[in-house]
Amino acid sequence: MQSRRLLVVSLVLIGAVIGVSSGRPVLGQAGAPASGEWPTYGGDLASTRYSPLDQINAENFSKLEVAWRFKTDSLGPRPEFNFQSTPLMVGGVLYSTAGTRRAVVALDAATGEQIWMYSLNEGARGDAAPRRLSGRGLAYWTDGKEARILYVTPGYRLIALDAKTGDRVPGFGTDGIVDLKLDDDQDMDLVAADIGLHAAPVVAKDIIIIGAAHLVSGVPRSRTNVKGYVRGFDVRTGKRRWIFHTIPLPGEFGNDSWENDSWSYTGNAGVWAQMSIDEELNLAYLPVELPTGDAYGGHRPGAGLFGESLVAVDLQTGQRKWHRQLVHHGLWDHDIPCAPILVDITVNGRPIKAVAQPAKQGFVYVFDRATGDPVWPIEERPVPKGDVPGEWYSPTQPFPTKPPAFDRQGVTLDDLIDFTPELKAEAVKMVSRYKLGPLFTPPVVSKWEGPLATLVLPNFNGGVNWPGGSFDPETKLLYLYSFTQIWALGVVPSDGKRSDMNYISGLARNPDAPPPTPGAGGGGEGGPPPLTVQGLPIIKPPYGRITAIDLNKGEIVWQVAHGETPDNIKNHPALKGLNIPRTGQPLGRIGTLPTKTLVIAGEPAFTTTATGQRGAMLRAYNKATGVEVGAVYLPAPTTGSPMTYMANGRQHIVVAISGGAYSGELLAFRLPS
Amino acid sequence: MRLTAVLITVLASVAAGSAASAGQQTGRTTNDAVFTAEQAMRGQMLYQTQCATCHGSTLAGAEAAPALTGSLFAVSWTEVPVGDLFERIRLSMPQDKPGTLGRQQTADVVAYILSFNKAPAGQVELPGDLEVLKAVRIVAAQ
Repeated sequence: MQSRRLLVVSLVLIGAVIGVSSGRPVLGQAGAPASGEWPTYGGDLASTRYSPLDQINAENFSKLEVAWRFKTDSLGPRPEFNFQSTPLMVGGVLYSTAGTRRAVVALDAATGEQIWMYSLNEGARGDAAPRRLSGRGLAYWTDGKEARILYVTPGYRLIALDAKTGDRVPGFGTDGIVDLKLDDDQDMDLVAADIGLHAAPVVAKDIIIIGAAHLVSGVPRSRTNVKGYVRGFDVRTGKRRWIFHTIPLPGEFGNDSWENDSWSYTGNAGVWAQMSIDEELNLAYLPVELPTGDAYGGHRPGAGLFGESLVAVDLQTGQRKWHRQLVHHGLWDHDIPCAPILVDITVNGRPIKAVAQPAKQGFVYVFDRATGDPVWPIEERPVPKGDVPGEWYSPTQPFPTKPPAFDRQGVTLDDLIDFTPELKAEAVKMVSRYKLGPLFTPPVVSKWEGPLATLVLPNFNGGVNWPGGSFDPETKLLYLYSFTQIWALGVVPSDGKRSDMNYISGLARNPDAPPPTPGAGGGGEGGPPPLTVQGLPIIKPPYGRITAIDLNKGEIVWQVAHGETPDNIKNHPALKGLNIPRTGQPLGRIGTLPTKTLVIAGEPAFTTTATGQRGAMLRAYNKATGVEVGAVYLPAPTTGSPMTYMANGRQHIVVAISGGAYSGELLAFRLPS
Repeated sequence: MRLTAVLITVLASVAAGSAASAGQQTGRTTNDAVFTAEQAMRGQMLYQTQCATCHGSTLAGAEAAPALTGSLFAVSWTEVPVGDLFERIRLSMPQDKPGTLGRQQTADVVAYILSFNKAPAGQVELPGDLEVLKAVRIVAAQ
């Protein structure tokens, strides 16, 4: 026990010394520091997820061995099957949230040995949390003398821990805890309020920035909900330094974009994605989600700032400097799901400090991050108007002219499965009951006789989702994983029992089917069949892909299907004898990890691997061409984004895996000694 | 302590089942009428009250919950022991009150999911016995 404590102190002290001597924080737009640490969720405050490490390369990637593994089952009352963390590594210590209680663990980065663990049992408040499980990570802060770990509990408390011991920091908030349900410029139930956060806090210049997440809002309980304001807190005391009203109050800029006083009761509009910070410009970049009602906005008429907007605020005051709304009055659950990536690029000979914002809808929006001006023109183009009663429609939506969309947008007959003429014919027949159209075709009121729904690509999960993209600051290539999965987007009248919205997401039932289960709001057996053709996805592959985009040129450099062809497709009798290239997988939230030598990504689904084992692969690609150069076996799909660091002179890659009945585990790889 | 020991045992069993399933292509499958129609109806009642809020009344899934039918279900669960699906649900669902479904109720929900995915019903109910469920593979309906 004594020796373990000595190990802790030694590792943290070494870390502190390295931090001081290297002038940390080295958290600009250059990737994770060359010292081999990974000090913030996105590798740096720019969220590049880039590491300059090069020990693991194309020649040796496939020789990687498991260095250690850390199972998270006992860090909560039950195992977790969706472990999304990206750990940090500072000074030889790896920090992660983990387990269904969202504990924090400190591990020896070289061995995986647990150094300390902290867990808070929040009781009913934790049980009522809208965003549970272990979350996506945490933040590290040091002034060179002391070091703190910062994270948000499922019950929406901000906690500061001593990085050496895992003890709460007494001078921070109340005994190390700031209750985030207080001092939020709105009243809410301290136990049951619909607010939480699973993202990692971000900290710079002694300010911690905290966003908010809510229950998914396809069928919101009410048009009235908690608002997802963003706040800055003093890292030393936990005192609130500022607040940014993502739904502006009367007198604040943007309030007039809410008609009929809908600002007063509408909620959500949180920042549940990761945020990024430019310390030099003193700006924080906030990707704001949709306001209440994912598919029906009749109770929030108007463009609805700052819904689905990228907002730059002053790091010290929270004052808005600029904003760009990416979707006006959204009806497609696009949100902004991931970190804006701060990129220093050169366009037509002009150096630009830019911010690149990947989005679910398949675009990367690129702005001058000092001014908010688009790097390439973004055009307001007319979009189809719908006819859902009471809905408010924006006549236009913004379309970037560069870079091109990285995934398919909208649905036409050409998007349907075409492995064989028979499969295509079945697909065409099936979609005849649906409305097809381009991006931003609005939802319809679902009718059994048709249209049942609007078919939408990408769906509510993207495109990209919370893992977002990554960026190589040397080559200026942006990498991102996206998947292609169709969505039947319809609304149905609410019966008033589940929601006080006039319309909620849903599909019509067959009027001749037996009545639905009382109180359940619909019966599965009476609904439309799944959008599959003989069990195959109704759209053609690729279903999952990695795209590389040259941000100096605004052009796609390469795109490859990522993820082995699923077993049910590979072995499908209708496809026997056909030579079908790797399809990728129609699901998943996958982070890409570019290093000096490779871009690395795991697979989102189980398959039977080349060796006959059931599992997934961690794959490495040539950064310039997308050619696969290596792969190693994982016993379960990746559910967190990979990170890398040096420990004892050896490069490690750590990734969170889980899925199916395989519970959450951190898996660390390194080369054989 | 006792609960922890049980949990570890269960998880070890799940892991063993998963590993065993990798090369296993024989034995019973969900096409072998492994549940009854009555059980699936009970499971439907449970599903609509316990699961539909997140997974959708048509099992189509939503932003925070995966589909339990169609190609996404097939990608995730084809060739997997029914026991894995059973244990995943039993241990982690419903998300707002995990662990509150008993073994038989969990088996009923699994029966409904299989039924919804066109697996045939038979004369014998799907049991809540993990060892039995581990020996049954999920396959595409014939």
